[in-house]
Amino acid sequence: MDQFLSLVVSAVLLAGLYAAMAYGLGLIYGVLRIVNLAHGGVIMAGAYTTWVLFTRFGIDPYLAIPIVVPLAFLFGVALYKGLVRFLPRGAAGGVQSLLLLFGVWLVMQNVAYLLFSGNDQAIRTSYSTRGLSLLGVIIPLNRLVVFVIGLLTLAVLHVLLTRTYFGKAIRAVAQNPDSCTLVGIDVERIYTVTFALGTALAGLAGLLLSTLFAFNPSAGAVELLKSFVIVVLGGLGSVVGIALGALVLATVEVFSILVLPSFLTSAVGFVLLVLVLVFRPGGLFGQRVLS
Amino acid sequence: MRTLRQRLPEWLTPWALVAFLGGLGALYVAPLVLGTGAYLHNLMGLTFMFVAGALAWNWVGGYVGQISFGHAAMFGVGGFVSARILLATGMPFVVGWIVGGLVAGLFALLWGHPTLRLRGPYFAIATIGVGEATRLIMTYWEPFTGGASGVSLPIQGGVNKYSLYWYGLYFMAAAVAVSYYLRKSRIGLGLLAIKSDVEAAGDVGVSATYYQDLMLFLSGTFVGIAGAFYASYFSFIEPGDMFGFQRSISFVLMTVIGGIGTILGPALGAVIFVILQEFLIASYPELYLGMYGGLIILIILFEPLGLSGLLVRIARRAGYRPRGQVAGGGVGSAAAGGPAATSEAETTPHMVEEKT
Repeated sequence: MDQFLSLVVSAVLLAGLYAAMAYGLGLIYGVLRIVNLAHGGVIMAGAYTTWVLFTRFGIDPYLAIPIVVPLAFLFGVALYKGLVRFLPRGAAGGVQSLLLLFGVWLVMQNVAYLLFSGNDQAIRTSYSTRGLSLLGVIIPLNRLVVFVIGLLTLAVLHVLLTRTYFGKAIRAVAQNPDSCTLVGIDVERIYTVTFALGTALAGLAGLLLSTLFAFNPSAGAVELLKSFVIVVLGGLGSVVGIALGALVLATVEVFSILVLPSFLTSAVGFVLLVLVLVFRPGGLFGQRVLS
Repeated sequence: MRTLRQRLPEWLTPWALVAFLGGLGALYVAPLVLGTGAYLHNLMGLTFMFVAGALAWNWVGGYVGQISFGHAAMFGVGGFVSARILLATGMPFVVGWIVGGLVAGLFALLWGHPTLRLRGPYFAIATIGVGEATRLIMTYWEPFTGGASGVSLPIQGGVNKYSLYWYGLYFMAAAVAVSYYLRKSRIGLGLLAIKSDVEAAGDVGVSATYYQDLMLFLSGTFVGIAGAFYASYFSFIEPGDMFGFQRSISFVLMTVIGGIGTILGPALGAVIFVILQEFLIASYPELYLGMYGGLIILIILFEPLGLSGLLVRIARRAGYRPRGQVAGGGVGSAAAGGPAATSEAETTPHMVEEKT
């Protein structure tokens, strides 16, 4: 019973991180109809930026959020203005932008190898091994903080997208860019900001991951895949869908430890993906992602 | 009396046949006449395998327009199945290759049938998942793959590297012929229809499911044979190399750099890939990923048809106008290897004509 409870707790904590990680990918796809293959690269870059700030300047990972997130945002702006803008969007341009962003990912990996070598790095703070005891379950402090930050991010995004004028403009562009031009929305600007916002979220996810796990320049592939699984599971419609998708994936992964050898847990997500595609191609909660 | 044109099936023109047989013959005798050194000889054999692999990837990635980042799965399955057959039974290695290829093709169908209903970017990411899941399972399935320590192939009863050149040549010729057939025949038209608009294709009776499954099966089979060839060539394989993500993306790189959706392109790309790998990467291994990443970015931005598109552009500039379906050697010289000569410079721009 104790084991069960602690698995539930760790699944929920993991889900917070996963949701923050997946939302950037989902947002960019939802508005620009582009799968950002550089997502994993930005996650990796976010982790390394946090690591550099921590080891060189002694900045605590969580206090580095105001530095890492704007940097990732600017990187997203540069990526969009410099490359993505020139490609057709939508189903037709999908393959081209996919390959282009894949190229970006390769270049980012290469830069990271040159700068930081291929060794695994990790961030160890004074509180890395601290834990809280709750109902007989010991909760690692870091995981709890990451979970809370993940939830806060989702809440902020939800408010941004549903309550502000700008968020409404983003959702309008997602539905019909042509009509948006007619009512005076600067579509190109919305695209830039959305892409940058998605990239910033990936940077934040990288920061959060760096406090929990070791990473190297090839990190990010697994995160990209998991983000994708979550987007397919939960649909693009809402923050709630993404959160539920993240919860499903985290639960399946955590509980698979009981029956599967540990090296196979990362394969579980992909098997789940294929199963969902076969039996519920519209996603678990009905919103169709597939066209 | 019927002319040669009338005797040949509709999809085959006399010029294509002549160019194909000419290229095949030239490459067949080349080592005997030119006396190439052992290094170049072996490298060319390996290049033939990569050309065939890139062409096979292109059947799904270029003809159907479904980018796969998971072809290492079939490459590895083909390699390990054939290695296990050769180790266990001592049958002729060609049997091992073909069985390995077929098993790989069936494996491709197994995951491809459900995932091919996804299109474009979604299929692409699903294939990353397939590739990684296969790699994880295979790495830990020690009785089959030998785990991290890999499998060594039997020395005796195997095939020596010298003669692999010709087996590679036959294999490549088969891949070129299939590529040409798939492009020119009725199937090719069906594939074009699917690539342009799946739903419209369905309305005129082109079953996307059937065609896509067929293409993935063929592609998986050929890539599996390529893996088996690779195993025979190196006499040692290990899962990290065979199933790795690098392996998967190498097929993407070759095809995209050469020109996706064409016949000349993947062949050209594979040759370039091997040259880069042997000469440039060997000296600057730390720039491996960045170089390919940069190439992809440049190609997607400026010339979506890759090097073959560039060649066609240069040819146009030089006053050359392709007339209809036959377009002589011109673009594909012997320097680019056999398939270039047979590909007729048919660089149909399928990547760029999609609607926005």
